[in-house]
Amino acid sequence: MKKLKYSDITPENYYINRRNFIAGSAVFSSMIASGLTQNEAEASISQLSPNSLQEITNYNNFYEFGTSKTDPAKYSKKLTTIPWQLEVDGLTNKKGIFDLEKILNNKQLEERIYRLRCVEGWSMVIPWIGFPLKKLIDQMDPKNEARYVAFETLYRPDEMRGQRYKILDWPYVEGLTIEEAMNPLTFLATGLYGKELPNQNGAPLRLVVPWKYGFKSIKSIVKISFTSEQPKTTWSAANPREYGFFSNVNPNVDHPRWSQATERVIGEGLFGQRRKTEMFNGYEKEVGHLYKGMDLKKHY
Amino acid sequence: MIFSRSIKNYRILGLYIILLTPIPVYFYLGLKNRLGPDPVKFLEHKYGELALIFLILTLSITPLLKIFKVNLIKYRRCFGLVTFYYVFSHILIYLIFDIGLSLDLLVSDLKKRYYIIAGFISFMLLVPLAVTSSDKAVKRLSPKTWKRLHKLVFIALSLSIIHFILLSKTWTIELLTYTLATMIILLLRIKYKKYRLIFFNIFNS
Ligand code: HEM
Repeated sequence: MKKLKYSDITPENYYINRRNFIAGSAVFSSMIASGLTQNEAEASISQLSPNSLQEITNYNNFYEFGTSKTDPAKYSKKLTTIPWQLEVDGLTNKKGIFDLEKILNNKQLEERIYRLRCVEGWSMVIPWIGFPLKKLIDQMDPKNEARYVAFETLYRPDEMRGQRYKILDWPYVEGLTIEEAMNPLTFLATGLYGKELPNQNGAPLRLVVPWKYGFKSIKSIVKISFTSEQPKTTWSAANPREYGFFSNVNPNVDHPRWSQATERVIGEGLFGQRRKTEMFNGYEKEVGHLYKGMDLKKHY
Repeated sequence: MIFSRSIKNYRILGLYIILLTPIPVYFYLGLKNRLGPDPVKFLEHKYGELALIFLILTLSITPLLKIFKVNLIKYRRCFGLVTFYYVFSHILIYLIFDIGLSLDLLVSDLKKRYYIIAGFISFMLLVPLAVTSSDKAVKRLSPKTWKRLHKLVFIALSLSIIHFILLSKTWTIELLTYTLATMIILLLRIKYKKYRLIFFNIFNS
């Protein structure tokens, strides 16, 4: 794929879209003033070339809407995301149920262009809009005993047809250590490509943890709780031998059924070349210290 | 006689063309980048899934005759060979486009990945069956040997479904359907009488 320069992203569209997304939605209208600066966007875009919106919104693993990669785009339109409430629970001084609108009110949105590496052995690059999870956690004032953060996806089978089959133990749950959650890279996305988050990508609020396999980045979050014990996570509950709690991207630790050394790059067509998978998906400098001295073969 | 026979041949030729058309059509769409963001996986999965479906259909023809008296035997060879062409296309997509003809990746897959091993053995079993599909081969081998050789197809089917189960992350509706169909086909083949005899012999000895 050719390297995208800032000017290649069809600036007109991009900015018209951005204005639309800011002006067009009640949730976002309060944030007109807080768009990202051009410098920030330029800095991140120059490193990674994003996949097209078409690719990002038509190749999704979101089993709540079906197991095929095209199911989420087909079946997620019915999902109601306004109003949306977020429950905060566990070891915190701010337990309660909050309107998402309120939570987003004082958050400055920024763009983050991250590579997403799926455990299945493919990757794509996505320009997210959102804010660091740390900002929300600070606001929620967790108690000192809180060592983990647990997340839960919406359970609403009449709008999420995949949940009518028990292929996984619904609702989908995920978790991070508090240190991972507080890392500056850990991000809550509310949009992508300058637009509101499409339903199939986890609207209206999803986690993005770029150094972990994609399934850790839980979508359509309705609940966040702070715990002292390592929380249950859906895929490792379904198959503990294959999916661990950490699930950091690691080319040296294979999935029992396939190699993780390389990945296919989505969007390169039939003749695309595989790329070498990087340790922590290329974010080793930023997050390697979190796992110092840890046996990553054991804590996969 | 000659006339009716040639009509029959045209029919079978037509059947081949219809059943095989998806292979070039999907490949063309792949070249034109019209199979979604990941044409490699699309083709790999599509050819693999169609191979399995045709294998199951091929092996349904005999039970269909025995139980429901529906006679499609004259199309059985066509279905069998179509199965083989889909398997072959499936493997070519894997070799050329998925692993990019990398010998390293192939060797490590064959050593480590159980689902690749199962698929590979299944393919190796299907090759001699495809090669001996002609009337000439039946005569050369003698029908009895030919029949015994072609029983390998049940092992190939079992390994194909194991291949699919092992590569899946969850039990999807499709996977359940194919597994159920495979189990029915295999169960119908077990000769109860023979096995009862064996059991008796074991207990009496
Ligand atoms: C050398 C032999 C074979 C190799 C290397 C091979 C390889 C593969 C690979 C790489 C996949 C995709 C896995 C993924 O999702 O990443 C796959 C899927 C599949 N293969 Fe094979 N395969 C072989 C033989 C066969 C045979 C003989 C059959 C059946 C007749 C078969 C049927 C399938 C099916 C049904 C799928 C899944 C399609 C889906 O997900 O819809 N394969 N195979």
